[in-house]
Amino acid sequence: MKLIKPVSTSLTLIPSIAYIPILIEIIKGFHIGGLNIIFQFISSAIKPSFNQEVVKSAWEGLQITIATALISWVISMLIGIVLGVLSTDLFWKSIPKFSCLGKFIKYSLAIPRSIHEVVWGLLFIQISGLNVWVAIISIVIPYSALTARVISEQLDSFDIQPLIAIKQTGSNIISSFITILLPKLIPIVFTYGSYRFECAIRGVTLLGIFGLGGIGTELYLTLKSFEFNEMWTCLWMLWLVMILLEKFIRSFRSYLSENISLKNSFSISISIFTLSLSLGISWLYNLNFELFTPLSFSYLNLPSFLEIRNGFNTLPLFKLIIATILITFFASGIAIGTPPLLLVLFPGKFSLKVQNLIWIFFRLIPPPLTTILILLFTNPNISVAALSLGITHMGVMGRLLTDNILNQEKSIYRAIKSNGSSKQSATLYGILAPQSNSYLAYGAYRIDVILKETAIIGAVGGVGLGWQLQESLSSFDWAQVMIITAAFSLLTITGEFLFNTSQNYWLNNSTNNFIS
Amino acid sequence: MYQSSRGTRLIKLAISVLSISNLFFIGSLKAEDILYIGAIPDQNPEHLNRLYGVLSSELSEQLNVQVRYKPVTNYAAAVTAFRTGDLDLVWFGALTGVQARLQTKGSKVIAQRDIDEKFHSVFIANKKSSIQKINNINDLTTLKGKRFTFGSESSTSGRLMPQYFLSNASLQLQDFKGSRPGFSGSHDATLMLVQSGSYEAGALSEKVWKRNLERGRVDPSKVFVIWKTPSYHNYHWLAQGNLDKKFKEGFTKDLTNVFLSFNEKSKKQKQILELFSAKKFIISKNENYNQIEKVGREIGKIK
Repeated sequence: MKLIKPVSTSLTLIPSIAYIPILIEIIKGFHIGGLNIIFQFISSAIKPSFNQEVVKSAWEGLQITIATALISWVISMLIGIVLGVLSTDLFWKSIPKFSCLGKFIKYSLAIPRSIHEVVWGLLFIQISGLNVWVAIISIVIPYSALTARVISEQLDSFDIQPLIAIKQTGSNIISSFITILLPKLIPIVFTYGSYRFECAIRGVTLLGIFGLGGIGTELYLTLKSFEFNEMWTCLWMLWLVMILLEKFIRSFRSYLSENISLKNSFSISISIFTLSLSLGISWLYNLNFELFTPLSFSYLNLPSFLEIRNGFNTLPLFKLIIATILITFFASGIAIGTPPLLLVLFPGKFSLKVQNLIWIFFRLIPPPLTTILILLFTNPNISVAALSLGITHMGVMGRLLTDNILNQEKSIYRAIKSNGSSKQSATLYGILAPQSNSYLAYGAYRIDVILKETAIIGAVGGVGLGWQLQESLSSFDWAQVMIITAAFSLLTITGEFLFNTSQNYWLNNSTNNFIS
Repeated sequence: MYQSSRGTRLIKLAISVLSISNLFFIGSLKAEDILYIGAIPDQNPEHLNRLYGVLSSELSEQLNVQVRYKPVTNYAAAVTAFRTGDLDLVWFGALTGVQARLQTKGSKVIAQRDIDEKFHSVFIANKKSSIQKINNINDLTTLKGKRFTFGSESSTSGRLMPQYFLSNASLQLQDFKGSRPGFSGSHDATLMLVQSGSYEAGALSEKVWKRNLERGRVDPSKVFVIWKTPSYHNYHWLAQGNLDKKFKEGFTKDLTNVFLSFNEKSKKQKQILELFSAKKFIISKNENYNQIEKVGREIGKIK
């Protein structure tokens, strides 16, 4: 007997079932009391504040965010590349004696990766106070571990025969390694690196919302006092910069790939890193940041064993974890399910372009902001947290899908359509089907990210581990902070393991390759 | 072939020249003593920048030192920044001020506004809820089973004191609907969320309530005050204990006197007082916050 195996195409649509319970809860609590505020929010979009002070401080915030992102991006890429190479099986094949060291690096990197940059930030700010390096370090720690993972996975997926062959000719281990590895490493660094830069800007913005400065801080302050016109000034400026940056990176990348030979690409990437780093540093310096005052480490009373045991007893840990998992589950459903659903419901090239613009917008609005907006027309419950988290990541997933589809061969779609099928079913079988495996693989990775990000959404919605972390931090209860951070870390590592397994499954069955 | 390699060489040259010139931007920092002031912001950035711009320049003029304002957005971060000595003088709320003072040896409350001596919170409710105006603290039990929200978790007037009065009326946090209160994040958010009906009731600073009334952002057909709390001490300026050593003998006293001398005759000082929505600053001391410390310990915000 053969088990029924779900087709991956339909699996891309199934997550959107998450909408059913969420919409039921949202509609049950729906009211129009906040309608005028929502209307104000929307109408403020077309009349952002042009007050000189507002524009000035938003512009300064934006510069801080970009410069900080630049520095953290370069450092995390460099560390990530080194750690990535060090955790490949490939690298240790040439020095087999120490191969357990490679495994050790690979697995221990799961810990820095499992904690969201905002949580790192909140912890470091407790130790080091207000220093611009706090933001940078908070980004660098998780990002370099993430970069290392992607790089080592990509490198290990290559054929190692040439390396063995070169080694057998008796050449130096390191030089043979560089000869084989470098040409493979550079394209990954180019594509993945530019993606990471956008992430870094998003990360620094989020850190700002939690008090580490830059445009995020401006956004949060304007939202806190419900000054929507001022908030839109920040949002539009951020949007504009993001679009320009994306355009610039894209054209720069295509220029490089057409004009630069492999040999030069190494020195080019080194120069890009050097230039970005010094640009970021001098930029922050000109913004009056004291970059060269050393980080101060203030003494913290580490909790005793008794305090930790007390913390375990006072925290409703089980309830918090369940809430966190539920939020992740529903948010992932929305994030993964919506883009394919919209694609099938509204097929066509024009609609695809419109969807692409919507996705950019959704990526831009930080989740804590969405939470407050959703709360204005529905009663508080777990769905609000899930929906606002889902919306941001829907923007990421949607972008990936539409980007891939715009670059994809249209032949299958045309063939199906010329057989007389409807536009919808032709889209389903001709456009979505070839994408679905890689999309699902990427989706599995996203769930991981969403799980980590519940750390910041709970803080605003008042639910889950994220909220408890804020509460414990603001009570300076280090025992509780330790327990919650550890719980988060464990949860994410478990999640990463589970989703990694399913991701590998979808990737192995995938028809087209991509880099997450 | 020759062309293209010359092209890349030029690019490389340009990039390296730029990198090196970039590094030259970085000079050495002047080691001058600067008075760092900070505040926990409860207003929009435009307001804050105006406020601390004027305040910094006035303090600098009067005290003859460089003054720099460092914005902090997170309550806990402000406390830490004070503990680590990144800030010399901070405008704290009562709870965060006590937290910071307990963690920073020698620090000292120097001044507060006239209104901070008798600060109040208000409990507000949505008209559609069945909640009625109350006269007695014990009637706060009427909030049992309602959707209720505080402001930020570290706020004195938006969380600490309201929670204290609720517990005096023997109402616990798990008595609210969903067996937990919400935390809207700010006073304004509490007002908006109760006015919209998402929460049936909430508590916020009376000052913010009044400000919103004046600005016409309160819809009296939707939201109303059910109870005003008894008064308590709130915001204050907290100074590090080492300022005399850092600047000069008697500096802390001079600093306090500058605040106390602010009046409406000088244009700049009038602006400062207006932006702080105060008539004047008055002297204050650590002991004024003993009640807050006690409440903080009861509620678990101070360990």
